[in-house]
Amino acid sequence: MNDWIAFFQQVMNFGPQIMAGLGNTLLLAAIITVTGLVGGIVVFYLSLSHNRLCRKLTEGYISFFIGTPLIALLFLMYYGLPQWGVRLSPLLVAVIGFTMNVAAYNARYLMTAYRGLDQDELEAARAQGFSSLQVFRLITLPQVLRLSIPALSNQVILNLKDSSVAFLIQYTEFFAQVQDFAVRNFQFFKAYLMAGLVYLALVSVIVIASRWLERRLILPGVRPL
Amino acid sequence: MVLLQTRNLGMEYDGKPVLRGIDLDLAEGELKVVMGPSGCGKSTLLRCLNRLVTPTSGQIIFRDEDVTRPDTDVRALRQRIGFVFQNFALYRHLSVLDNVTLGLRKLRGMPLGEAVERAKHELRRMDMVEHHHKYPAQLSGGQKQRVAIARALAMDPAVLFFDEPTSALDPLMSREIINVINQLRRDNVSMLCVTHDLFLARSVGGRVLFLDQGVIHAEGDAEQLFGNHSDPRIRAFFSQEAGNQ
Repeated sequence: MNDWIAFFQQVMNFGPQIMAGLGNTLLLAAIITVTGLVGGIVVFYLSLSHNRLCRKLTEGYISFFIGTPLIALLFLMYYGLPQWGVRLSPLLVAVIGFTMNVAAYNARYLMTAYRGLDQDELEAARAQGFSSLQVFRLITLPQVLRLSIPALSNQVILNLKDSSVAFLIQYTEFFAQVQDFAVRNFQFFKAYLMAGLVYLALVSVIVIASRWLERRLILPGVRPL
Repeated sequence: MVLLQTRNLGMEYDGKPVLRGIDLDLAEGELKVVMGPSGCGKSTLLRCLNRLVTPTSGQIIFRDEDVTRPDTDVRALRQRIGFVFQNFALYRHLSVLDNVTLGLRKLRGMPLGEAVERAKHELRRMDMVEHHHKYPAQLSGGQKQRVAIARALAMDPAVLFFDEPTSALDPLMSREIINVINQLRRDNVSMLCVTHDLFLARSVGGRVLFLDQGVIHAEGDAEQLFGNHSDPRIRAFFSQEAGNQ
């Protein structure tokens, strides 16, 4: 018991650094959730193009980023680019790397949802006189986003958890600070257990929020993927 | 006055002719019914006429304007043609009211209040105004089709196209739609209806065109075609359809 009291005392002493790390984790996760969603929507839109080359390029993009480890991309940008004179901050590298990766996954989720759309609705919209962009914005996107809420929510959870990888490119996020704390205080087991519990608590908040969103946005007679 | 004409209209898909030498005239306020076996090109004909697909030959004249010319504003043409689909094709993420107002707001730029008034007027005409807050999945097939007709009428089209409007409906609901078409006929709405439903063709009157393998083989009053026609293809089609009903 005394061990735990001492541990919490040490955590309190290290509190500002841990909270700063947590703030950085939430900042990175929030940014890549937004940029990854916007990027995913753009890639999804391009995947519907009538242009065969455009469709092939988007398919190549998705396959490349889903098939390549994120860490390789982050290292390439953070440690590789300086050899060419390009130096980017850890946050910028993390945002660019995660965005490209998350956008590929999100595009794939949206494409899967698109296959469940009633194509007659899209033809009806074209027959009404809507342009391709209007059909996408007014008919396709609102439906595929709703259908994809569970998959997109899972991606938000992954964004939060995977953001700890950014610690390997010197981005001082939550896990990096916990690691620092553990080394300084020789409290490896308790520190990593605490980190796990904090991630679990944050993930629980996302799960609750996504279920609320799903209930609010679900359409009668339409089952999300 | 002629509203819509086609001259020698043809359409090929992967080198295979789907429509050949179609000559069709539709006058203002007239109803014409196109009948024929499945795969004869009926739906393709409608899609050619509003340029959802591009004809490979011939001309479509819409109110004295050749709309097969490359510089045709296809979206403007489509906005003047109301299209009612076999499977209703309502936007399932939108309420009944929003289904009807969407085109008015986004295509016509109508203010919301005015669009709602107009939509409710058309929904009232289709006896659907009390369902305006519902979503498509909460409606019966007949109700969905009436909303689809209200959505098309709200845009104040020059002509209404019906693509097999009763084929996804049971007999009772089909009757509802037939009543609606008859009501529109009394209101002098120009209509072109594609169907293989003999009961529909008989009930709505109008001239009937018989289409088979992409060619119009006969045109006449319903009873004239349904009777003992000299063309064996027409006789075979109508006796088979009569047997199915």
